[in-house]
Amino acid sequence: MALHTLTLDLAPAAPKTRIQARLHVGVTGSSDLEIMMHPEDLSGRVAVTVVTPVTGFDALWTRVLQKFLDDSGLCDARIEINDNNATPAVVLLRLQQALAAA
Amino acid sequence: MTHWTDLQPRSFLEASARDRAIGLVDEGSFTELAGPFDRVTSPHLALLGDAVAFDDGIVTGVGKIGRTPVFVISQEGRFIGGSVGEIGGAKMVTAIKLAIDFHDDLVAQFDDLDEEEKPLVVISFETGGVRLHEANAGLLAHAEVMDQLQKARGKVPVIALIGSKVGAFGGMGFVAAATDVIIMSEFGRLGLTGPEVIEQEMGKEEFDASDRALVYRTTGGRHKFIMGDANFLVENTVAAFRDQVSALAGLSIEAFEEMRRIGSSAKVKAQLRAVALAAEMQPGDATDVWTRAGNTDAHALIDLPLPEFLATVRRLAV
Amino acid sequence: MDMQESMMGRGRDAIEMIVDAGSFAEGVVGAKSFDDPEFGPGAVVGTATLQGTVCTIIASDGGAMNEKFPVVYAGIIGLEEGYKMAEAVYASILEDAEKPLAEKRPLVLIVDTPGNGPGKVEEIFGMNKSTAAYQLALAEARLKGHPIIAMVIGRAISGAFLCHGLQADAILSLDAQFGTMIHVMPLTSVSRIIRKDLETLEVLSKQSAVFAAGPRFFHSLGGVEALVETLDGMRPAIVARIAEVRAAKLEGRQDDLGPWGRGKLGEARGGRIERPRVIEMMSRDFAAVADRYAPSR
Repeated sequence: MALHTLTLDLAPAAPKTRIQARLHVGVTGSSDLEIMMHPEDLSGRVAVTVVTPVTGFDALWTRVLQKFLDDSGLCDARIEINDNNATPAVVLLRLQQALAAA
Repeated sequence: MTHWTDLQPRSFLEASARDRAIGLVDEGSFTELAGPFDRVTSPHLALLGDAVAFDDGIVTGVGKIGRTPVFVISQEGRFIGGSVGEIGGAKMVTAIKLAIDFHDDLVAQFDDLDEEEKPLVVISFETGGVRLHEANAGLLAHAEVMDQLQKARGKVPVIALIGSKVGAFGGMGFVAAATDVIIMSEFGRLGLTGPEVIEQEMGKEEFDASDRALVYRTTGGRHKFIMGDANFLVENTVAAFRDQVSALAGLSIEAFEEMRRIGSSAKVKAQLRAVALAAEMQPGDATDVWTRAGNTDAHALIDLPLPEFLATVRRLAV
Repeated sequence: MDMQESMMGRGRDAIEMIVDAGSFAEGVVGAKSFDDPEFGPGAVVGTATLQGTVCTIIASDGGAMNEKFPVVYAGIIGLEEGYKMAEAVYASILEDAEKPLAEKRPLVLIVDTPGNGPGKVEEIFGMNKSTAAYQLALAEARLKGHPIIAMVIGRAISGAFLCHGLQADAILSLDAQFGTMIHVMPLTSVSRIIRKDLETLEVLSKQSAVFAAGPRFFHSLGGVEALVETLDGMRPAIVARIAEVRAAKLEGRQDDLGPWGRGKLGEARGGRIERPRVIEMMSRDFAAVADRYAPSR
């Protein structure tokens, strides 16, 4: 019954983008999510924590986040997500919006 | 982050709680207190396996409008309907308490403090009240908010803004009623019992909750303005709400007291005259009361553009 | 737990059990008299003595029905009832306006109410104002020094408890064996609204004080100060609480009483531990920036 927490240690195919300051976007509305990002020296890697009521989609989360990192080249960051049943498309969109807001 | 100037023309109804909060005060003046980076998520939701939010669905902070410090509380309806639990409730209570304490500090510190330099509290409501997932803590927090509202009396004006999708219902309908001034847009709704519950109690023939026009006639901004329950009715933009708050900043505390609907024996007596009218009229529809208030074509008021509505409407006097 | 005879719907009987025998004068508070028997019949207000001390009594009449506002029956607080209760409080404040703190009359709230009037006419005219008016009046009386004690004898449900009970200085409740009900909503309705199966919620309601129903869980949250085990125990418990509350007010310990005091009690009893964390965090955050919001001179 408890919330599911997924932690991932990922790296973009080609690291090139770093955020300068912490940021927060989105609302944990129904089928939506909120995202927080912090710059952190992780030797080019990205640490992700996803908190979600949904279980059984860990592989899908990994694929979506890996795609976002490969597309954006984001590195050296910590990402924290509160999810409420968002679809992969919405997750990708919110991640892109978060980075655009940086 | 959206630029402040871009927030101003935005629909208040559609804006997020944080955008409303930031847009209501002067550009760059907002400091969030216990914001998302503090990660105040509800452990009670987590225990139930439900999604959490870093701010627990309520934005609290402080900004400035001109020379006035403004403590802002802004509820986010998209997160569990803006419901109030232990953390969100504590955030509301503390924001009001900080405003009162700050007022007392400033009064002690400056002997030439003028009204514009004294703090205000602004609450943007978007909630049905208690969060059922942590109902007991939410209920107790409601009582604490009411306590702080009374403690603010005579010191710190509290202004309610109601222009959100969810409106202000349940226990937060009480809280909104207990503020000094209520500013609504026509899309805002204010009441106690939500439409679904009234339908359940009285039957669909008496009250059809799916009839949106009926719902708005009964609890919407236009009706509440006619009844005197909303002091001001403004356009649905962040700027319009902000301008109205700005126009009120600096008024004397006595002027705020006069705008109250309740809060003294004299005001209760005036409300009782309205209740006597309710008993006498037994209105089948809110427009019956609009007619009684002197609006000869009450139904025309429903769709009249807002400036014309404001120019022609007659408000109930009892 | 041996179940005892319920006091539900018996607000008037409770008044007689609590106050000095024969002392209750209904419809009179200070200079105010409520002469119309059809006005707010669901609310019982009046004056009595309790060990010789003049008190204002406010209760619900579970047997009354308001014919003008037929959603009001069984102890529901309607438009008239909320304002009537508020008037009784204001009349108490006015009557003792010149009296010193030690002589402000206590208010005793006898709590057995299932809800606020849920009707169309109520919404058109603003039911939320009526019960808010009563809450503000109680808070004003409390802050002006009147000791306010709530005694839960039956139903203390959600918004009705907010309005009639939760603004008191101290709240006492008959314990669970009297069938006392303190909650926001029955589990079956909660289950439907938050979309969780009833079994899950029933498990949770045995362990989570913030979620579960009943006087004992409210006690652990600080929402109920003390549980009363017998009907005979109500009178002495109220008398003792009045004395304690009065002493606290004379010592300026207002923060140990009322809703804020219940927050502190909830922390001490371990039932509400997030609240103090948030208060501390926001106070610290604001202290760091307060200078920016003060006049610059």
